[in-house]
Amino acid sequence: MRNMWLIIRREYLERVRTRSFLILTLLVPGIMTVVMMLPAKLATMSEKTQRLVVVTSTPQFGEMVRQRFLSATTDTDQDDEESPDANSAKKKPEEEYSIDVDANPTEAERAVLRDKVSSEAIDGYLWLSDDAIASGKVTWTSRNMAGFGERSHLSAILNRILQYQRLSANGLTTDKAEQLLKPVKVEAVRLEHGKESKGGGGGKFLEVVVMVMLLYMAVLLYGISVMRSVLEEKTSRILEVLLSSATSTQLMAGKLLGVGAVGLTQILVWVVIAGVFALPAMAMQPSFSELQIPIGVLLAFAIFFLLGYLLYSTMYATIGAITTTEQEGQQLQFFIVIPLVLSVFMLAPVVRSPDAPLVVWLSMVPFFAPVLMYARIVVQTPPLWQIALCLTLLVATIAGLLVLCARIYRIGILIYGKRPNLPEILKWLKYAKA
Amino acid sequence: MASTQPPALPSSSTQHSGAGGTVQLTNVRKCYGDFVAVENLSLSIKPGRIYGLLGPNGAGKTSTLRMIIGIIVPDSGQISVFGETLKLAHKDRFGYLPEERGLYKKMKVLEHLLLLAQLKGLSANEALKRARSWCDRFELSAWTGKKVEELSKGMQQKVQFIGAVLHDPELIVMDEPFSGLDPASTVVLKDVLLELAKSGKTILLSTHGMDQAEKLCHSICLVNHGRAVLEGDLSQIKAGYGKCNVQIKYDGDARFLQESRLVQSFNDYGNYVEVRLAPGADTQELLKLASAGARLSKFEVMEPSLEEIFIDAVSKPAVSQSAEKSNA
Repeated sequence: MRNMWLIIRREYLERVRTRSFLILTLLVPGIMTVVMMLPAKLATMSEKTQRLVVVTSTPQFGEMVRQRFLSATTDTDQDDEESPDANSAKKKPEEEYSIDVDANPTEAERAVLRDKVSSEAIDGYLWLSDDAIASGKVTWTSRNMAGFGERSHLSAILNRILQYQRLSANGLTTDKAEQLLKPVKVEAVRLEHGKESKGGGGGKFLEVVVMVMLLYMAVLLYGISVMRSVLEEKTSRILEVLLSSATSTQLMAGKLLGVGAVGLTQILVWVVIAGVFALPAMAMQPSFSELQIPIGVLLAFAIFFLLGYLLYSTMYATIGAITTTEQEGQQLQFFIVIPLVLSVFMLAPVVRSPDAPLVVWLSMVPFFAPVLMYARIVVQTPPLWQIALCLTLLVATIAGLLVLCARIYRIGILIYGKRPNLPEILKWLKYAKA
Repeated sequence: MASTQPPALPSSSTQHSGAGGTVQLTNVRKCYGDFVAVENLSLSIKPGRIYGLLGPNGAGKTSTLRMIIGIIVPDSGQISVFGETLKLAHKDRFGYLPEERGLYKKMKVLEHLLLLAQLKGLSANEALKRARSWCDRFELSAWTGKKVEELSKGMQQKVQFIGAVLHDPELIVMDEPFSGLDPASTVVLKDVLLELAKSGKTILLSTHGMDQAEKLCHSICLVNHGRAVLEGDLSQIKAGYGKCNVQIKYDGDARFLQESRLVQSFNDYGNYVEVRLAPGADTQELLKLASAGARLSKFEVMEPSLEEIFIDAVSKPAVSQSAEKSNA
């Protein structure tokens, strides 16, 4: 016990003290922030003031389009709810657009506007001739296709305006038209254990993906780290010295727990950083405010990280023990990664129907459980017995693997020459029992 | 060089164990796959002695040492230490210096020594005190705060040695302790080993350097191809061979070496030849014959060197000199 504690302490301190730990610990939240913020930032950056021209035969209509367009964003927000990212990036429309009305829809004018677009005097024009309106097909001409945002935006506004027009043409007042056209907003409410919580499926899915990726990365990162350090101890021949003082089981357990503690520390630091810096920022962004993570989910994250890490790093340690170079290890680690990658692939169906029988049983499989059961807990807390059964199976598998792998480890770490083949490893298992 | 004679045997030194000796191997066998590393090896190491395990590369020395400290388990046979069957609890009473030196390169010297000593059950305070004093002795004090990788290879070896003896083990097992050391460090290490032996520690070392073993060891075991070819007290072994060797330094005709009636075999070392006399040969006859054709500057009748004994033992079918074992 004392030996294991000494090994844990060494592994922990040696890692936490390194500069790379500090950098990684600080860098990952930074990268995560950048990854989340960058697309929005980029979208905003490209949108310097756009100079647009609306071409129509009736100036009043053009003026109406202009007015609508400039004041429209709040209106249309409700329409395109499915793309919250685009909204979050929007600036005030007055800063974004300057719109001129051109009451001369002739082919000559069209050519002039084309030239203006080409020479970058304006960014685009909207062709709203009477013919075009009558045919229900108007043209938006601009230099780049990136005007996608404008296009959907425009068509929404134009549709609205045309609907008004048609309604008023049929004798309705503007107020009446407004009332009739008032859009309906769907509000998502999650009902769980009789408690209601607001929030759409989008935010929930984002939460699952972010947390699962974090879990996946952490398990992989620390598993590989365990494998590396076993290999390093083999090549530096320190293992033989350690073995003269401690048993291979103590060494292996000490290493796994020490590295695992480093991982937990890192995640804890990330959570704290996220809490201190990111939460206020998220609160500002309406769509991210749905990312409030309940404490139970955090606890589940810690448990499933630890168990997932133990499960996979036990196998990583074994690979470190039976190989002699990192290249060899990389080849073999492929087999370990497969179940992990598979479970990430299964994520989407699991989130969609977390209580389908197949999903339930797949999430019980120990090798998938860290990702799938965790995802299920986030989406919709499964029945307690399922969580209990899953954890029991997972812990039992870890215990079994630890015993098996410790045997292979014990012999493998002293082998420096060629990599043992499967029959040899099986023989070790039998031998080490004695 | 004269000072490197084996010290007087401590006849009444502190005895930790029963009659079996500090280490007792009985018919130990170890295979790796089809390769037999150690075959039917038996040996006995008495407390307070320096015991040499000698043999060429691949003879099974390292495997034997690893089995004695319990890193690997023999396929068959018994190993007992301190009079009991080898068990986990014994680990803290061993000090082990592996052949391939291994240290954590990124760790600081002092921290590393503390780790090794604490793993052997020492308290942090005690370990620190002892580590400081050992570092003084090996002139490493200025380096205790440095990382291991910043040290020269020789210095790393010293750190490794300190790590092996810091917890004051009763049995010190060293695999090729002198390899890679400069002459000055060799002398320091040799003095330390002799001192430890005098204070009652049992020292088991493996080497393929016969010279070193001949100067240092009280007892030896010669192994070849995993088998013991010779085991026992060094002086007894040598006496058993008798004064049947002649060292001759000559200049001129070397035909006397071909005289099979007198010369059983010879070994040319360049500066001199060591001649093994044929049974019943008369040294005076050889002297006459040699001086007839060559100028002699040295003609000395002596016990065979350990190297000669080794070569002789290896060339014969395995016969154990220590009386009890003979498995031809």
